[in-house]
Amino acid sequence: MMRALRLLAVAVAVIALTIVSGCSSVPADPHGTLDRVRGGVLRVGATHHPPWVEAAGISPPGGDEVDIVTAFANDNDADLEWEVGSEQSLVEALERGDLDLVIGGFTDATPWTERAATTVPYTEATGPDGSVEKHVMLTRMGENRFLVALETFLMDRGRAG
Amino acid sequence: MTSISFGSAELPPEQLEALRRAKRLEWATLAFLAGAITAVFLVMGNSQAMRTAWAEDLLSLAPPIAFLVAVRLVRKPPSERYPYGLHRAVGVGHLVAALALLSMGAFLIFDAGSGLVRAEHPPIGTMTLFGVTFWAGWAMMLVMALTIPLPIVFGRKKMRLAEQLHDKVLYADADMNKADWMTAAGAVVGVAGIGVGLWWADAAAALFISASILWDGVKNMRAAITDLMDSRATTFDDAHPHPVVARLEALLRGMSWVDDAGARVRDEGHVFHAEAFVVPRRGRTPSLRRLVEARKACEALDWKLHDVTIVLVDELPAEVGGRAGEQQSEARG
Repeated sequence: MMRALRLLAVAVAVIALTIVSGCSSVPADPHGTLDRVRGGVLRVGATHHPPWVEAAGISPPGGDEVDIVTAFANDNDADLEWEVGSEQSLVEALERGDLDLVIGGFTDATPWTERAATTVPYTEATGPDGSVEKHVMLTRMGENRFLVALETFLMDRGRAG
Repeated sequence: MTSISFGSAELPPEQLEALRRAKRLEWATLAFLAGAITAVFLVMGNSQAMRTAWAEDLLSLAPPIAFLVAVRLVRKPPSERYPYGLHRAVGVGHLVAALALLSMGAFLIFDAGSGLVRAEHPPIGTMTLFGVTFWAGWAMMLVMALTIPLPIVFGRKKMRLAEQLHDKVLYADADMNKADWMTAAGAVVGVAGIGVGLWWADAAAALFISASILWDGVKNMRAAITDLMDSRATTFDDAHPHPVVARLEALLRGMSWVDDAGARVRDEGHVFHAEAFVVPRRGRTPSLRRLVEARKACEALDWKLHDVTIVLVDELPAEVGGRAGEQQSEARG
């Protein structure tokens, strides 16, 4: 029972510390992505998937998601650096930390969830088989501060219409 | 005609009351778990610890269900098909509960361990409730923190009732409640750790806690199996041989017509079945009246001793402390 109480005390202490240290710094990025992006460079991987991303023969790429990411970068005073490639090569670059964000018409049913963090769905569209598809973007695993900033931006944008 | 109450053991008032309270407690546990399972499912997202806590809540349904089924079954009187009654249902229930505990510990260790080895950085994004967008970690910590206090209360109450009732399913379930609140506390610590940027906090907290759960699982599993194998009866927590065995033997040895006595006692669930071997003084067979009285005296010793068979022998068998065993082991050794 003593051990149990001690564990509970630790839990309470950690929560208290988290709250005291200020909601503004929670969650944090283990690799500091958001701090680096703000006023710096946002490195985005894009894979061709019209109308979300048009990357065939166009540089820099265009499309709905490119517009959204550009607006997000402007919001954060960040310059954009694009890398165009296949989903796998981009997800691998994301895992290595060479990219911060990957777009390409991904839905919440993407098979990459084990290797990349998906944002909340920011819009819905009708897929080729007539079913509703919820669109998401991919960010680096565990960079939760960056993920929260991006999701908050997407949600605010959705509410604004 | 002596009325012999085989079958549904008549519980003394204290135990009857304990049984009633235990049943109420288990129904309350089930209701609580149903709520917790729903709430955690709604907020679990991608957190390893949250998913594990959820799987664990599902597994913790097993012991209360096993208990409620078992106490229902043991009430049935012995029949031609089940001449010993259905007391062993408690033993089976204990096995089910122990297996649930063991698989939970093993699952947790594997889950958290592989997460640590692969250096998984759990992503936790935002959640939008009533138009407000906030970090989902807050909701997770709140829900998990809310599931901590009740299992602590449940566990402590069950532990007391388990002793009164000599019910090992309840005992295993008390351990399960301990596992429940410890994993919930671990998830809170883990999510808070992720919040401040420690990606490994989640898995490390789960790993730390899983060791203790696995140990409880192993302990209960061993006890459940040995009880089903008719090992000698032990106390409800399997810490010691049950004192009632020695008291039974002492009672018989104290009778005027008895030279020596030894008993083998097995745990049928709440109650014990005992075979008492008695060597009568000067090899004389006692009267039927004396035998019937001896049997009644044995069963009056403790409510758990509810089925005592007395066997007259010329020498005690080895396994109940007879000399025959010593000679044999000397010959072998």
